[in-house]
Amino acid sequence: MALLEARDIVKVYPNGVRANQNVSLSVEKGEIHAVVGENGAGKSTLMKILYGLEQPTSGEIFLKDQAVEIVSPHKAIELGIGMVHQNFMLVDSFTIAQNIALGMEPKRGVTIDRQKAIRDVEQLSTTYGLHVEPKQRIETVPVGMRQRVEILKALYRGAEILILDEPTAVLTPRETNDLFAAIRNLIAEGKTVIFITHKLREVMEISDRVTVMRDARVVGTVNTRDTTIPELARMMVGREVFMVVDKPPVKRGKPVLEVRGLTYANEAGRKLLDHASFNVYESEILGVAGVEGNGQTELVEVLTGLRDATAGEASVDGQPILNHGPRRVREAHITHIPEDRLTNGVAGDASIADNLIVDRYYQPPFTKGLLLQPNAIEENSNALIQQFGILTQSGEQPVTSLSGGNMQKVIVAREFSSSPRLLIAAQPTRGVDIGAIEFIHQQLVDKRTEGLAILLVSADLQEVMKLADRIMVMYNGEIVCVLPNTPDLTEEQLGLYMLGAVRQTAEEMEADGS
Amino acid sequence: MNGKARPYANYLVAFVVGLIIFLLTSYRVFGGGTLDEWMESFNATPGAGGILFVNALVGISVALFVAQLKWNALRVTLTVVAALIFGYFVTGLFNLDTANKYVQGEFIVALQSDAEPVDQDDIDLQYGRQRGGELNNPEASDPLTEARFTFAGNEGDVITILAAVANRRSEVDLEVALLSPDGEALASSTSSTPEQLEAFEDLRSEKDATIADFTLPTTGVYTISAEAEPLSTGTIISEAVKATNAAYEAFLLGPLGRPNRWAVWIQDALTLILVGLSIAIVFRARQFSLGAEGQLYFGALVSGAICLAWTNLPPLLVVPIALLASMTAGFLWGLLPGVLKAYLGANELVSTLMLNAVAVRFYELVLTFQIKPPTAGYTASAPFPEGNILAPIIPDTQVTIAVFIVIGAVIASWLLISRTPLGYEIRMVGSNRKFADYGGINSKRVIMLSMAVSGILAGLAGAHLAMGIHRMLILNISLGLAFEGVVVALLARNNPLVIPFTGLLYAYMRAGAQFMERDANVSFEVVRIIQAVIILLITAEALATMFRFRRARNVTTTLDQGLETTAAIEGKAHV
Repeated sequence: MALLEARDIVKVYPNGVRANQNVSLSVEKGEIHAVVGENGAGKSTLMKILYGLEQPTSGEIFLKDQAVEIVSPHKAIELGIGMVHQNFMLVDSFTIAQNIALGMEPKRGVTIDRQKAIRDVEQLSTTYGLHVEPKQRIETVPVGMRQRVEILKALYRGAEILILDEPTAVLTPRETNDLFAAIRNLIAEGKTVIFITHKLREVMEISDRVTVMRDARVVGTVNTRDTTIPELARMMVGREVFMVVDKPPVKRGKPVLEVRGLTYANEAGRKLLDHASFNVYESEILGVAGVEGNGQTELVEVLTGLRDATAGEASVDGQPILNHGPRRVREAHITHIPEDRLTNGVAGDASIADNLIVDRYYQPPFTKGLLLQPNAIEENSNALIQQFGILTQSGEQPVTSLSGGNMQKVIVAREFSSSPRLLIAAQPTRGVDIGAIEFIHQQLVDKRTEGLAILLVSADLQEVMKLADRIMVMYNGEIVCVLPNTPDLTEEQLGLYMLGAVRQTAEEMEADGS
Repeated sequence: MNGKARPYANYLVAFVVGLIIFLLTSYRVFGGGTLDEWMESFNATPGAGGILFVNALVGISVALFVAQLKWNALRVTLTVVAALIFGYFVTGLFNLDTANKYVQGEFIVALQSDAEPVDQDDIDLQYGRQRGGELNNPEASDPLTEARFTFAGNEGDVITILAAVANRRSEVDLEVALLSPDGEALASSTSSTPEQLEAFEDLRSEKDATIADFTLPTTGVYTISAEAEPLSTGTIISEAVKATNAAYEAFLLGPLGRPNRWAVWIQDALTLILVGLSIAIVFRARQFSLGAEGQLYFGALVSGAICLAWTNLPPLLVVPIALLASMTAGFLWGLLPGVLKAYLGANELVSTLMLNAVAVRFYELVLTFQIKPPTAGYTASAPFPEGNILAPIIPDTQVTIAVFIVIGAVIASWLLISRTPLGYEIRMVGSNRKFADYGGINSKRVIMLSMAVSGILAGLAGAHLAMGIHRMLILNISLGLAFEGVVVALLARNNPLVIPFTGLLYAYMRAGAQFMERDANVSFEVVRIIQAVIILLITAEALATMFRFRRARNVTTTLDQGLETTAAIEGKAHV
């Protein structure tokens, strides 16, 4: 008997977008049910309907075989359905206990019984193995704990079914493991979990059954143990996904980027980048691996002129590039795909055309004399939109109108089209769906084959191992190894370097590195 | 929004709307009426051609507004209409006591009879006499709402009692009653017949009350009671509505009443357009600088000083130099907070507001101790020499060649924002400063320049006030005009091509409020309320957009922190 069942849900938004078309979902009691799909496949809409945030255009929802109408989140909570959103809905200045009890505080007379709230939270926390510190304020606790607070909040309101919307997106690997352990605890305590994600690896690890969505429809529901990642990927994308890129061997050329003793200390004097020295050569992808927060971000920002180095040198084709701001770097033919698209990579409410010329607007043909040349700007945008397959009505649309993958294509189009010598790509496929990842990977490899030097920084070790010619690992701001990416190199080997357990000597690095 | 057909449709709509506005304003400003009457009035007005020319510019401004904002033009219009409707109700509240005129005012009570007057102590009236009084506001602390007068009469005397308003200003609606010596009501009346109006000259309207030819039943001391007829809710409301309608008519049509009123609107619009452009440029760079006020004062001071000092030089030289000087002064006074913001991180809102105070006090200091002629009775400069002003293009008004300066300023601002590299930089810094930095734009320089360049226009607005409108330097030459400029810029969404329209619109409301105050006795503050509502509505809309963008950003950045691989590695490495 299904605990929660949605039948033939159709959702048409007022602007005509069909977000759900005859979607059916059946969740059994006590299972972990994953719902996967690419961005825009309709997962979130379905969950919003189940949680009462949206009303279906047609279709029915059954809870324990009883037809129910979930008109509001309030009603959903009443029915025992709780949801943990991707963006936490917490009051930062309140304590954890206050947040959890918010709106249903235990009373003592007319006042709130804070002590009881704290005891309740502690008890709940122990029962489900969700560790929190009830007296801490939200703003002072890490993201992982905030998420546990969200889960406890739902449990405190009596949730039997928990919807987790992309819960691992904001977590570190350790926190993800903790979360998975907690989810298993919840199941052991008789709860049911619906788990939204687009990371197939997590699906395989945690779920019992998977429902795959694509283009607002359900492609199918399968038992996790009967399926594989490639099969799920095929269901999600609708075609065979080539997880391997076509990477012909090429001989690397002369060094393009030469970095010597590069050091960056923050205002507090802490060295976030410590005497880094390396080269990147023509026709080579140098992959930078490491657990996030070990100096990769600083390395990229110093090299691209967004921060000034404390010490050391870097040059491109012999031209020094440090400490003169991004314009100097760009004029040395370095391009940069930034780590955080929306913070650095695009101006959201500016047009696509404007976003495509930020590195070259002041040069001909875009500026002649004192004035910009709208025709040249438009031609440039039309050409790049076509060449990079950016899905948009016109270059006049604001960038925010694009999906995440298309936004990334705007950045890639701009950075690839400026005839660079060196490309610094930071997390180029983060948050991009599978189809676009494939495209970006192939582009990177093709450019490298054509002679471009690429510094690829990625937290996705598989990506680095798939694309790089050499792999450099950073730990604690230092370069701990430089290894040629040979087929016998394993994740475990790299893992030891990434955790700082082993490191190469300078001689070894010299030998492997150059 | 598909294909190519739509832009033309849009331009057509814009053209038609612009044309309609041109025709309407031109029709009303010469008094309307039939075509012949209009022609006559047109021919009788000096500078009528100039008025038509400026009205054509008004039409173009409206057309630009529609063409630029497309559907958003409708939203802006609805915002303004909503604010106007709200303002209507507020004006209505001011007018709720209009009906009180029917219960308060001066009145007389006259007693007439052919019989022999009876004289007696302690009585108020005799035959052939009258007494007066004033009924006052029922909400006054010690209201007089009823008057009683006594008189002595003999049985069989035929008397007539009149209760009438005492003068034309009084509109009190009277009611009169005759009480017997025992206090019994013998007769009463609330109105007069047309024949009675003919017969008794004390009566002024049918609202006055008459008890005619009443025969007294006994001899004794009678009492006449006079009071106002009680107000019904219907009267209160209909009177309030009538007054509000009249006020709003003055508000909405006042500026087009006569050419000189029209000129008040246009000259104010010119200032507001310049200030609005100034604000729009800094807002484009997302700098919340409110320095326009100070820049404006400096612009006025510098241009005024030049106009006063260089009396011997040809005006053709002095006027351009004065204008350039005002622009330079505005530029420099804008550069200052720009440098403070860009290189020292001083919040531009705070620094510009403080610098405004400095500028205004400096202006007052120089005006009072250096410029004011020692003999002058009040703080103002001497009038500028005849030639050293902006020449009127319409005689006897302050609609001057500033019209052309403003056209130039609009075009220059538009070119700057959308067609120059600096404008591109301003837009990118305004949209996302981190993106601008990443792209190689020197955002500090851009912030500094955006604030300085915006000062040029504010300085020019100051020159327009000094040389175009007042033709002398006066205290309080601008009372917060810069803040009105914020509304103008916000309404136009910081688009230089839309600002002429929003400037005209806003100036129209300001002028309308002035005439409403003058014609209908409703406070100018109503326009402030409308302004506040407009700001609230626009801000709410802007916030909604911003919120949507923030949400989009959160969703995509947290979508995939890409940590799954390291998770696996860490897991394995620990094993």
